Amino acid sequence: MIHMKEIWFQYGRKPLFSRLQLDIPPGSIYGLLGMNGAGKTTLLKMISGQLFPLSGTADVLGFDPVKRDVRMLRDLYHLPEEFLLPRMRGENYVSIYAPFYPKFDQNAMEEYCREFGISLDQKLNELSYGQKKKFLLSFGLASNTSLLILDEPTNGLDIPSKSQFRRTVAAAMTEERTFIISTHQVRDMENLIDPIVIVQDGTIVFNSPLDAVSQRFSMQIEAEKPSDGEAVHSEKVPGGWMTVRDRRADEAETSVDLEMLFNTVVSNPQAFHHMGGAL
Amino acid sequence: MRLLLLFRKELHESRKSLLVYLLTIFLVLLVQEMIGEISAQMSGFQYVTSGYGNLFPGFLLLGGFIVTGLLFAQDMFSRIGQHNWLMLPATALEKFLAKALASAFFYPIALTGVFIISSLVIEGITALLFGSPFDIFNPFDASTGLLMLHYLVIQSVFLLGATLFRKVHFVKTVLSAASIAVIMSIIGGVFMRIVFAPYFTDMFVLDISFTGDMPDAPVLFRGLWVYMQILYWAVLPVFCWITSYIRVKEVQSTDAVS
Repeated sequence: MIHMKEIWFQYGRKPLFSRLQLDIPPGSIYGLLGMNGAGKTTLLKMISGQLFPLSGTADVLGFDPVKRDVRMLRDLYHLPEEFLLPRMRGENYVSIYAPFYPKFDQNAMEEYCREFGISLDQKLNELSYGQKKKFLLSFGLASNTSLLILDEPTNGLDIPSKSQFRRTVAAAMTEERTFIISTHQVRDMENLIDPIVIVQDGTIVFNSPLDAVSQRFSMQIEAEKPSDGEAVHSEKVPGGWMTVRDRRADEAETSVDLEMLFNTVVSNPQAFHHMGGAL
Repeated sequence: MRLLLLFRKELHESRKSLLVYLLTIFLVLLVQEMIGEISAQMSGFQYVTSGYGNLFPGFLLLGGFIVTGLLFAQDMFSRIGQHNWLMLPATALEKFLAKALASAFFYPIALTGVFIISSLVIEGITALLFGSPFDIFNPFDASTGLLMLHYLVIQSVFLLGATLFRKVHFVKTVLSAASIAVIMSIIGGVFMRIVFAPYFTDMFVLDISFTGDMPDAPVLFRGLWVYMQILYWAVLPVFCWITSYIRVKEVQSTDAVS
Protein backbone atom coordinates (compact mmCIF):
# COMPACT_ATOMS: atom_id res chain seq x y z
CA MET A 1 0.00 0.00 0.00
CA ILE A 2 2.82 2.40 0.88
CA HIS A 3 6.42 1.94 -0.21
CA MET A 4 8.98 4.64 0.43
CA LYS A 5 12.59 4.11 -0.54
CA GLU A 6 15.69 6.24 -0.01
CA ILE A 7 13.57 9.30 0.76
CA TRP A 8 15.49 12.49 1.40
CA PHE A 9 13.70 15.54 2.73
CA GLN A 10 14.92 18.73 4.33
CA TYR A 11 13.59 22.05 5.60
CA GLY A 12 15.97 24.72 4.40
CA ARG A 13 19.46 23.32 4.82
CA LYS A 14 18.60 21.03 7.70
CA PRO A 15 17.92 17.43 6.61
CA LEU A 16 14.94 15.84 8.31
CA PHE A 17 14.80 12.51 6.49
CA SER A 18 17.83 10.97 4.86
CA ARG A 19 17.44 7.62 3.07
CA LEU A 20 14.14 6.92 4.78
CA GLN A 21 12.61 3.49 4.12
CA LEU A 22 9.01 2.65 4.93
CA ASP A 23 6.74 -0.20 3.88
CA ILE A 24 3.15 -0.37 5.01
CA PRO A 25 1.01 -3.25 3.74
CA PRO A 26 -2.81 -2.99 3.68
CA GLY A 27 -5.14 -4.16 6.40
CA SER A 28 -3.80 -2.70 9.64
CA ILE A 29 -4.17 0.27 11.94
CA TYR A 30 -0.63 1.59 12.07
CA GLY A 31 0.41 3.75 14.97
CA LEU A 32 2.99 6.39 14.11
CA LEU A 33 4.86 7.54 17.18
CA GLY A 34 7.71 9.96 17.66
CA MET A 35 8.85 12.87 19.75
CA ASN A 36 8.00 16.48 18.90
CA GLY A 37 9.80 17.50 15.74
CA ALA A 38 10.68 13.91 14.83
CA GLY A 39 8.99 14.34 11.45
CA LYS A 40 5.67 12.50 11.91
CA THR A 41 3.49 15.18 10.31
CA THR A 42 6.05 15.74 7.54
CA LEU A 43 6.06 12.01 6.82
CA LEU A 44 2.26 11.95 6.67
CA LYS A 45 2.27 14.95 4.34
CA MET A 46 4.78 13.24 2.06
CA ILE A 47 2.58 10.14 1.98
CA SER A 48 -0.47 12.21 1.02
CA GLY A 49 1.45 14.24 -1.58
CA GLN A 50 1.40 17.58 0.21
CA LEU A 51 5.18 17.67 0.53
CA PHE A 52 7.64 16.50 -2.09
CA PRO A 53 10.84 14.64 -1.13
CA LEU A 54 14.07 15.96 -2.59
CA SER A 55 15.01 12.48 -3.75
CA GLY A 56 13.92 8.88 -3.41
CA THR A 57 10.87 7.02 -4.62
CA ALA A 58 7.44 6.72 -3.08
CA ASP A 59 4.44 4.65 -4.03
CA VAL A 60 1.11 5.22 -2.32
CA LEU A 61 -1.86 3.13 -3.46
CA GLY A 62 0.03 2.47 -6.67
CA PHE A 63 0.72 6.14 -7.45
CA ASP A 64 3.53 8.60 -7.02
CA PRO A 65 2.13 10.91 -4.31
CA VAL A 66 3.98 13.91 -5.77
CA LYS A 67 1.65 13.79 -8.79
CA ARG A 68 -1.44 13.95 -6.57
CA ASP A 69 -3.30 11.74 -9.01
CA VAL A 70 -7.08 11.97 -8.62
CA ARG A 71 -7.29 8.18 -8.34
CA MET A 72 -4.98 8.35 -5.33
CA LEU A 73 -6.68 11.37 -3.74
CA ARG A 74 -10.16 9.88 -3.92
CA ASP A 75 -8.94 6.73 -2.18
CA LEU A 76 -7.07 8.58 0.57
CA TYR A 77 -8.44 10.71 3.39
CA HIS A 78 -6.08 12.74 5.56
CA LEU A 79 -7.37 14.34 8.74
CA PRO A 80 -4.74 16.86 9.89
CA GLU A 81 -4.17 18.04 13.43
CA GLU A 82 -5.06 21.61 12.49
CA PHE A 83 -7.84 22.20 10.01
CA LEU A 84 -10.20 24.80 8.68
CA LEU A 85 -13.85 24.14 8.01
CA PRO A 86 -15.89 26.37 5.69
CA ARG A 87 -18.77 28.38 7.09
CA MET A 88 -21.68 26.10 6.25
CA ARG A 89 -23.93 23.45 7.75
CA GLY A 90 -22.65 19.89 8.04
CA GLU A 91 -25.21 18.61 5.53
CA ASN A 92 -24.05 21.23 2.98
CA TYR A 93 -20.43 20.22 3.54
CA VAL A 94 -21.37 16.61 2.86
CA SER A 95 -23.34 17.49 -0.27
CA ILE A 96 -20.41 19.54 -1.63
CA TYR A 97 -17.46 17.34 -0.69
CA ALA A 98 -18.92 13.80 -0.73
CA PRO A 99 -19.31 13.61 -4.55
CA PHE A 100 -15.51 13.79 -4.82
CA TYR A 101 -15.28 10.42 -3.02
CA PRO A 102 -16.90 7.69 -5.14
CA LYS A 103 -17.18 5.22 -2.24
CA PHE A 104 -18.76 7.73 0.15
CA ASP A 105 -21.56 6.20 2.23
CA GLN A 106 -24.21 8.75 3.30
CA ASN A 107 -25.89 6.32 5.71
CA ALA A 108 -22.56 5.57 7.37
CA MET A 109 -21.91 9.31 7.70
CA GLU A 110 -25.19 9.82 9.50
CA GLU A 111 -24.47 6.81 11.71
CA TYR A 112 -20.96 8.02 12.63
CA CYS A 113 -22.27 11.50 13.39
CA ARG A 114 -24.98 9.99 15.59
CA GLU A 115 -22.36 7.92 17.44
CA PHE A 116 -20.22 11.01 18.01
CA GLY A 117 -23.22 13.16 18.98
CA ILE A 118 -22.92 15.56 16.03
CA SER A 119 -25.92 16.90 14.16
CA LEU A 120 -25.52 17.39 10.42
CA ASP A 121 -27.78 20.45 10.40
CA GLN A 122 -25.45 22.31 12.77
CA LYS A 123 -23.31 25.14 11.41
CA LEU A 124 -19.73 23.87 11.30
CA ASN A 125 -18.23 27.19 12.42
CA GLU A 126 -20.33 27.03 15.59
CA LEU A 127 -18.92 23.65 16.62
CA SER A 128 -16.13 23.29 19.18
CA TYR A 129 -12.71 22.05 18.04
CA GLY A 130 -13.46 18.55 19.30
CA GLN A 131 -16.86 18.48 17.58
CA LYS A 132 -15.32 19.66 14.31
CA LYS A 133 -12.75 16.91 14.59
CA LYS A 134 -15.47 14.32 15.18
CA PHE A 135 -17.35 15.64 12.15
CA LEU A 136 -14.29 15.35 9.91
CA LEU A 137 -13.49 11.94 11.36
CA SER A 138 -17.03 10.80 10.51
CA PHE A 139 -16.60 12.17 7.00
CA GLY A 140 -13.25 10.44 6.58
CA LEU A 141 -14.60 7.10 7.79
CA ALA A 142 -17.73 7.41 5.62
CA SER A 143 -15.59 8.19 2.57
CA ASN A 144 -14.54 4.50 2.64
CA THR A 145 -11.09 5.31 1.32
CA SER A 146 -8.47 2.55 1.32
CA LEU A 147 -6.03 4.75 3.21
CA LEU A 148 -7.02 6.91 6.15
CA ILE A 149 -4.38 9.15 7.69
CA LEU A 150 -5.22 10.61 11.08
CA ASP A 151 -2.84 13.12 12.67
CA GLU A 152 -3.44 13.35 16.42
CA PRO A 153 -7.10 12.33 16.09
CA THR A 154 -7.86 12.25 19.81
CA ASN A 155 -6.47 15.71 20.60
CA GLY A 156 -9.38 17.84 21.75
CA LEU A 157 -11.76 14.92 22.20
CA ASP A 158 -13.48 14.45 25.55
CA ILE A 159 -13.07 11.16 27.45
CA PRO A 160 -16.26 9.46 26.16
CA SER A 161 -15.39 10.55 22.63
CA LYS A 162 -11.97 8.94 22.90
CA SER A 163 -13.61 5.62 23.77
CA GLN A 164 -16.11 6.14 20.98
CA PHE A 165 -13.23 6.90 18.63
CA ARG A 166 -11.56 3.57 19.41
CA ARG A 167 -14.82 1.67 18.95
CA THR A 168 -15.72 3.45 15.71
CA VAL A 169 -12.29 3.10 14.12
CA ALA A 170 -12.05 -0.58 15.10
CA ALA A 171 -15.52 -1.20 13.61
CA ALA A 172 -14.67 0.66 10.41
CA MET A 173 -11.53 -1.38 9.84
CA THR A 174 -11.55 -3.92 7.01
CA GLU A 175 -8.85 -5.99 5.33
CA GLU A 176 -8.77 -3.60 2.38
CA ARG A 177 -8.30 -0.48 4.49
CA THR A 178 -5.24 0.89 6.19
CA PHE A 179 -5.23 3.47 8.92
CA ILE A 180 -2.16 5.45 9.90
CA ILE A 181 -2.67 7.18 13.21
CA SER A 182 -0.02 9.61 14.36
CA THR A 183 -0.29 10.33 18.05
CA HIS A 184 1.37 11.37 21.28
CA GLN A 185 -1.62 10.06 23.23
CA VAL A 186 -0.56 6.41 23.29
CA ARG A 187 -2.96 5.61 26.15
CA ASP A 188 -5.86 6.66 23.92
CA MET A 189 -4.70 4.22 21.27
CA GLU A 190 -4.02 1.18 23.40
CA ASN A 191 -5.59 -1.99 21.95
CA LEU A 192 -6.21 -0.12 18.69
CA ILE A 193 -2.94 0.61 16.93
CA ASP A 194 -0.85 -2.35 15.79
CA PRO A 195 1.76 -2.42 14.20
CA ILE A 196 3.77 0.47 15.55
CA VAL A 197 6.12 2.72 13.59
CA ILE A 198 8.47 4.95 15.56
CA VAL A 199 10.28 7.87 13.97
CA GLN A 200 13.35 9.36 15.57
CA ASP A 201 15.69 11.96 14.15
CA GLY A 202 14.32 11.44 10.65
CA THR A 203 14.73 7.67 10.73
CA ILE A 204 12.26 4.83 11.16
CA VAL A 205 13.81 3.18 14.20
CA PHE A 206 10.98 0.71 14.76
CA ASN A 207 8.35 -0.84 12.50
CA SER A 208 6.84 -3.98 13.91
CA PRO A 209 3.61 -5.62 15.10
CA LEU A 210 3.15 -5.81 18.84
CA ASP A 211 3.11 -9.60 19.01
CA ALA A 212 6.66 -9.59 17.68
CA VAL A 213 7.59 -7.33 20.58
CA SER A 214 5.94 -9.54 23.16
CA GLN A 215 7.63 -12.61 21.67
CA ARG A 216 11.04 -10.99 21.86
CA PHE A 217 10.83 -8.90 25.04
CA SER A 218 9.16 -9.09 28.41
CA MET A 219 7.84 -6.02 30.18
CA GLN A 220 7.12 -6.21 33.88
CA ILE A 221 7.41 -4.30 37.10
CA GLU A 222 10.30 -5.45 39.27
CA ALA A 223 11.08 -4.50 42.83
CA GLU A 224 14.73 -3.67 42.23
CA LYS A 225 16.39 -1.56 39.61
CA PRO A 226 18.26 -3.83 37.20
CA SER A 227 22.01 -3.32 37.05
CA ASP A 228 23.56 -1.64 34.02
CA GLY A 229 23.48 -3.80 30.91
CA GLU A 230 21.16 -6.33 32.51
CA ALA A 231 17.96 -5.00 30.91
CA VAL A 232 17.17 -3.33 27.60
CA HIS A 233 15.49 -0.46 29.43
CA SER A 234 14.03 0.32 32.84
CA GLU A 235 12.31 3.23 34.46
CA LYS A 236 10.84 4.05 37.85
CA VAL A 237 7.09 3.60 38.08
CA PRO A 238 4.75 3.46 41.09
CA GLY A 239 5.41 0.10 42.76
CA GLY A 240 8.91 -0.53 41.43
CA TRP A 241 10.82 -0.53 38.17
CA MET A 242 9.16 -1.20 34.83
CA THR A 243 11.81 -3.29 33.14
CA VAL A 244 12.16 -4.42 29.55
CA ARG A 245 14.29 -7.54 29.12
CA ASP A 246 14.99 -10.03 26.38
CA ARG A 247 12.37 -12.73 26.93
CA ARG A 248 13.61 -16.21 27.82
CA ALA A 249 12.22 -19.08 25.78
CA ASP A 250 10.47 -20.58 28.81
CA GLU A 251 9.07 -17.26 29.97
CA ALA A 252 5.39 -16.37 29.39
CA GLU A 253 4.67 -13.49 27.02
CA THR A 254 3.73 -10.23 28.66
CA SER A 255 1.44 -7.54 27.34
CA VAL A 256 3.08 -4.56 25.66
CA ASP A 257 2.82 -1.18 27.31
CA LEU A 258 2.95 1.30 24.40
CA GLU A 259 4.41 4.12 26.43
CA MET A 260 7.12 1.83 27.77
CA LEU A 261 7.81 0.46 24.30
CA PHE A 262 8.19 3.97 22.94
CA ASN A 263 10.53 5.04 25.75
CA THR A 264 12.58 1.89 25.29
CA VAL A 265 12.93 2.30 21.55
CA VAL A 266 13.81 5.99 21.81
CA SER A 267 16.38 5.43 24.55
CA ASN A 268 17.89 2.32 23.00
CA PRO A 269 17.10 2.18 19.26
CA GLN A 270 20.01 -0.22 18.60
CA ALA A 271 18.18 -2.97 20.49
CA PHE A 272 15.37 -2.83 17.91
CA HIS A 273 17.51 -2.81 14.80
CA HIS A 274 16.06 -6.18 13.80
CA MET A 275 12.46 -4.93 14.20
CA GLY A 276 12.03 -2.82 11.11
CA GLY A 277 14.43 -0.11 12.15
CA ALA A 278 16.82 1.36 9.64
CA LEU A 279 19.80 2.03 11.84
CA MET B 1 -18.18 16.78 -14.03
CA ARG B 2 -15.57 17.40 -11.30
CA LEU B 3 -15.06 20.89 -12.67
CA LEU B 4 -18.74 21.60 -12.09
CA LEU B 5 -18.45 20.22 -8.57
CA LEU B 6 -15.50 22.54 -7.98
CA PHE B 7 -17.44 25.52 -9.35
CA ARG B 8 -20.28 24.64 -7.00
CA LYS B 9 -17.86 24.40 -4.08
CA GLU B 10 -16.21 27.74 -4.91
CA LEU B 11 -19.57 29.45 -5.27
CA HIS B 12 -20.98 27.98 -2.09
CA GLU B 13 -17.95 28.82 0.01
CA SER B 14 -17.78 32.42 -1.15
CA ARG B 15 -21.50 33.08 -1.40
CA LYS B 16 -21.64 35.43 1.62
CA SER B 17 -18.74 37.58 0.40
CA LEU B 18 -20.31 37.65 -3.06
CA LEU B 19 -23.69 38.71 -1.68
CA VAL B 20 -22.09 41.55 0.31
CA TYR B 21 -20.16 42.64 -2.78
CA LEU B 22 -23.24 42.56 -5.01
CA LEU B 23 -25.27 44.48 -2.44
CA THR B 24 -22.49 47.08 -2.24
CA ILE B 25 -22.59 47.50 -6.02
CA PHE B 26 -26.35 47.97 -5.93
CA LEU B 27 -26.15 50.53 -3.14
CA VAL B 28 -23.37 52.50 -4.86
CA LEU B 29 -25.41 52.62 -8.06
CA LEU B 30 -28.56 53.55 -6.17
CA VAL B 31 -26.88 56.37 -4.25
CA GLN B 32 -25.22 57.71 -7.40
CA GLU B 33 -28.47 57.72 -9.36
CA MET B 34 -30.51 59.22 -6.52
CA ILE B 35 -27.98 62.02 -6.03
CA GLY B 36 -28.02 62.64 -9.79
CA GLU B 37 -31.82 62.77 -9.87
CA ILE B 38 -32.10 65.00 -6.80
CA SER B 39 -29.44 67.36 -8.17
CA ALA B 40 -31.27 67.48 -11.50
CA GLN B 41 -34.58 68.19 -9.80
CA MET B 42 -33.05 70.96 -7.65
CA SER B 43 -31.22 72.59 -10.53
CA GLY B 44 -34.26 72.44 -12.79
CA PHE B 45 -32.97 69.94 -15.36
CA GLN B 46 -35.67 67.64 -16.61
CA TYR B 47 -33.49 64.66 -17.48
CA VAL B 48 -30.25 63.38 -16.13
CA THR B 49 -28.10 60.80 -17.91
CA SER B 50 -27.55 57.64 -15.87
CA GLY B 51 -23.98 56.88 -14.77
CA TYR B 52 -23.98 53.08 -14.88
CA GLY B 53 -21.56 53.05 -17.78
CA ASN B 54 -19.13 55.26 -15.84
CA LEU B 55 -19.01 52.96 -12.82
CA PHE B 56 -18.90 49.66 -14.71
CA PRO B 57 -15.20 49.87 -15.74
CA GLY B 58 -14.17 50.57 -12.14
CA PHE B 59 -16.04 47.60 -10.74
CA LEU B 60 -14.96 45.38 -13.62
CA LEU B 61 -11.26 46.25 -13.56
CA LEU B 62 -10.47 47.19 -9.97
CA GLY B 63 -13.00 44.79 -8.44
CA GLY B 64 -12.08 42.00 -10.81
CA PHE B 65 -8.36 42.35 -10.23
CA ILE B 66 -8.76 42.41 -6.45
CA VAL B 67 -11.02 39.34 -6.60
CA THR B 68 -8.50 37.60 -8.88
CA GLY B 69 -5.61 38.53 -6.59
CA LEU B 70 -7.34 36.82 -3.67
CA LEU B 71 -8.32 33.66 -5.57
CA PHE B 72 -5.58 31.40 -4.26
CA ALA B 73 -4.71 33.20 -1.00
CA GLN B 74 -6.34 30.69 1.30
CA ASP B 75 -6.03 27.51 -0.74
CA MET B 76 -2.41 27.89 -1.79
CA PHE B 77 -0.78 29.92 0.93
CA SER B 78 -2.69 29.51 4.19
CA ARG B 79 -0.89 26.93 6.32
CA ILE B 80 -4.15 25.50 7.64
CA GLY B 81 -6.45 26.32 4.74
CA GLN B 82 -4.40 24.68 2.01
CA HIS B 83 -4.89 21.15 3.33
CA ASN B 84 -8.51 20.80 2.11
CA TRP B 85 -7.63 22.11 -1.31
CA LEU B 86 -4.52 20.01 -1.81
CA MET B 87 -6.29 16.87 -0.67
CA LEU B 88 -9.48 17.46 -2.66
CA PRO B 89 -9.80 14.65 -5.22
CA ALA B 90 -9.50 16.70 -8.41
CA THR B 91 -6.63 17.36 -10.79
CA ALA B 92 -4.47 20.47 -10.43
CA LEU B 93 -5.83 21.64 -13.77
CA GLU B 94 -9.43 21.32 -12.60
CA LYS B 95 -8.68 23.14 -9.36
CA PHE B 96 -6.90 25.88 -11.29
CA LEU B 97 -9.61 26.23 -13.93
CA ALA B 98 -12.41 26.34 -11.37
CA LYS B 99 -10.90 29.51 -9.95
CA ALA B 100 -9.37 31.05 -13.07
CA LEU B 101 -12.47 30.64 -15.23
CA ALA B 102 -14.69 31.97 -12.47
CA SER B 103 -12.57 35.10 -12.27
CA ALA B 104 -12.06 35.51 -16.03
CA PHE B 105 -15.57 34.78 -17.30
CA PHE B 106 -18.05 34.28 -14.48
CA TYR B 107 -17.13 37.55 -12.74
CA PRO B 108 -17.61 39.89 -15.76
CA ILE B 109 -20.80 38.09 -16.80
CA ALA B 110 -22.20 38.18 -13.27
CA LEU B 111 -21.18 41.82 -12.87
CA THR B 112 -22.90 42.72 -16.12
CA GLY B 113 -26.01 40.91 -14.94
CA VAL B 114 -25.92 42.72 -11.61
CA PHE B 115 -25.55 46.08 -13.38
CA ILE B 116 -28.48 45.36 -15.70
CA ILE B 117 -30.76 44.15 -12.89
CA SER B 118 -29.68 46.96 -10.55
CA SER B 119 -30.28 49.56 -13.25
CA LEU B 120 -33.73 48.11 -13.93
CA VAL B 121 -34.66 48.32 -10.25
CA ILE B 122 -33.11 51.76 -9.75
CA GLU B 123 -34.66 53.19 -12.90
CA GLY B 124 -38.01 51.86 -11.69
CA ILE B 125 -37.54 53.65 -8.38
CA THR B 126 -36.43 56.94 -9.98
CA ALA B 127 -39.29 56.75 -12.49
CA LEU B 128 -41.75 56.37 -9.62
CA LEU B 129 -40.16 59.10 -7.48
CA PHE B 130 -39.07 61.63 -10.09
CA GLY B 131 -40.85 60.57 -13.26
CA SER B 132 -37.54 60.26 -15.09
CA PRO B 133 -37.35 58.03 -18.18
CA PHE B 134 -35.86 54.52 -18.18
CA ASP B 135 -32.15 54.60 -18.98
CA ILE B 136 -30.87 51.15 -18.09
CA PHE B 137 -27.29 49.91 -18.33
CA ASN B 138 -26.45 48.74 -21.83
CA PRO B 139 -23.40 46.44 -22.02
CA PHE B 140 -23.83 45.71 -25.71
CA ASP B 141 -21.66 48.41 -27.21
CA ALA B 142 -18.19 48.32 -28.73
CA SER B 143 -16.45 50.09 -25.86
CA THR B 144 -17.78 47.64 -23.23
CA GLY B 145 -16.78 44.73 -25.46
CA LEU B 146 -13.24 46.08 -25.80
CA LEU B 147 -13.14 46.72 -22.07
CA MET B 148 -14.06 43.09 -21.44
CA LEU B 149 -11.24 41.93 -23.73
CA HIS B 150 -8.73 44.17 -21.92
CA TYR B 151 -10.04 42.77 -18.65
CA LEU B 152 -9.34 39.22 -19.83
CA VAL B 153 -5.75 40.11 -20.72
CA ILE B 154 -4.89 42.08 -17.59
CA GLN B 155 -6.78 39.62 -15.38
CA SER B 156 -4.25 36.98 -16.45
CA VAL B 157 -1.45 39.09 -14.96
CA PHE B 158 -3.28 39.27 -11.63
CA LEU B 159 -3.95 35.54 -11.88
CA LEU B 160 -0.21 34.99 -12.10
CA GLY B 161 0.33 37.36 -9.17
CA ALA B 162 -2.24 35.42 -7.16
CA THR B 163 -0.26 32.19 -7.60
CA LEU B 164 3.16 33.82 -7.33
CA PHE B 165 2.93 35.96 -4.20
CA ARG B 166 2.21 34.54 -0.79
CA LYS B 167 0.70 37.73 0.67
CA VAL B 168 -0.61 41.15 -0.43
CA HIS B 169 -1.16 39.72 -3.89
CA PHE B 170 -2.93 42.71 -5.46
CA VAL B 171 -0.44 45.38 -4.39
CA LYS B 172 2.57 43.23 -5.19
CA THR B 173 1.18 42.44 -8.64
CA VAL B 174 0.54 46.12 -9.36
CA LEU B 175 4.03 47.10 -8.17
CA SER B 176 5.69 44.27 -10.09
CA ALA B 177 3.74 45.01 -13.28
CA ALA B 178 4.56 48.72 -12.94
CA SER B 179 8.25 47.97 -12.40
CA ILE B 180 8.34 45.66 -15.42
CA ALA B 181 6.47 48.27 -17.50
CA VAL B 182 9.00 50.97 -16.57
CA ILE B 183 11.96 48.73 -17.38
CA MET B 184 10.39 47.62 -20.67
CA SER B 185 9.61 51.23 -21.56
CA ILE B 186 13.21 52.27 -21.01
CA ILE B 187 14.52 49.32 -23.06
CA GLY B 188 11.88 49.97 -25.75
CA GLY B 189 12.72 53.66 -25.80
CA VAL B 190 16.43 53.04 -26.25
CA PHE B 191 15.66 50.42 -28.92
CA MET B 192 13.37 52.84 -30.80
CA ARG B 193 15.89 55.69 -30.53
CA ILE B 194 18.59 53.52 -32.08
CA VAL B 195 16.61 51.59 -34.72
CA PHE B 196 14.39 54.49 -35.82
CA ALA B 197 16.96 57.23 -35.42
CA PRO B 198 16.17 58.84 -38.85
CA TYR B 199 12.53 59.37 -37.85
CA PHE B 200 13.36 61.33 -34.70
CA THR B 201 13.02 65.10 -35.22
CA ASP B 202 14.38 65.82 -31.78
CA MET B 203 16.07 63.81 -29.05
CA PHE B 204 12.79 62.19 -27.94
CA VAL B 205 10.30 63.28 -30.62
CA LEU B 206 9.27 60.66 -33.17
CA ASP B 207 7.62 61.86 -36.37
CA ILE B 208 5.28 58.91 -36.90
CA SER B 209 1.52 58.94 -36.46
CA PHE B 210 0.30 56.32 -33.96
CA THR B 211 -3.29 56.38 -35.22
CA GLY B 212 -5.05 53.99 -37.57
CA ASP B 213 -2.84 51.62 -39.54
CA MET B 214 0.05 54.12 -39.49
CA PRO B 215 0.36 54.60 -43.28
CA ASP B 216 3.35 56.89 -42.85
CA ALA B 217 5.25 54.52 -40.59
CA PRO B 218 8.09 52.38 -41.91
CA VAL B 219 7.38 48.67 -42.51
CA LEU B 220 9.61 47.63 -39.61
CA PHE B 221 7.69 49.90 -37.27
CA ARG B 222 4.33 48.58 -38.46
CA GLY B 223 5.62 45.04 -38.05
CA LEU B 224 6.77 45.87 -34.55
CA TRP B 225 3.34 47.23 -33.74
CA VAL B 226 1.72 43.98 -34.93
CA TYR B 227 4.13 41.98 -32.78
CA MET B 228 3.27 44.17 -29.80
CA GLN B 229 -0.41 43.51 -30.40
CA ILE B 230 0.19 39.76 -30.61
CA LEU B 231 2.33 39.94 -27.49
CA TYR B 232 -0.40 41.75 -25.56
CA TRP B 233 -3.52 39.95 -26.80
CA ALA B 234 -2.18 36.40 -27.21
CA VAL B 235 1.25 35.75 -25.67
CA LEU B 236 0.79 37.59 -22.37
CA PRO B 237 -2.46 35.89 -21.26
CA VAL B 238 -1.35 32.46 -22.45
CA PHE B 239 2.01 32.84 -20.68
CA CYS B 240 0.33 34.00 -17.46
CA TRP B 241 -2.27 31.23 -17.48
CA ILE B 242 0.27 28.48 -18.15
CA THR B 243 2.72 29.79 -15.55
CA SER B 244 -0.09 30.13 -12.99
CA TYR B 245 -1.19 26.56 -13.67
CA ILE B 246 2.36 25.29 -13.19
CA ARG B 247 2.55 27.16 -9.89
CA VAL B 248 -0.73 25.55 -8.78
CA LYS B 249 0.45 22.12 -9.85
CA GLU B 250 3.69 22.39 -7.93
CA VAL B 251 2.38 23.97 -4.76
CA GLN B 252 3.36 22.18 -1.56
CA SER B 253 2.27 22.38 2.02
CA THR B 254 3.50 25.68 3.49
CA ASP B 255 5.48 23.73 6.09
CA ALA B 256 8.05 23.01 3.45
CA VAL B 257 8.89 26.61 2.76
CA SER B 258 8.26 28.31 6.10
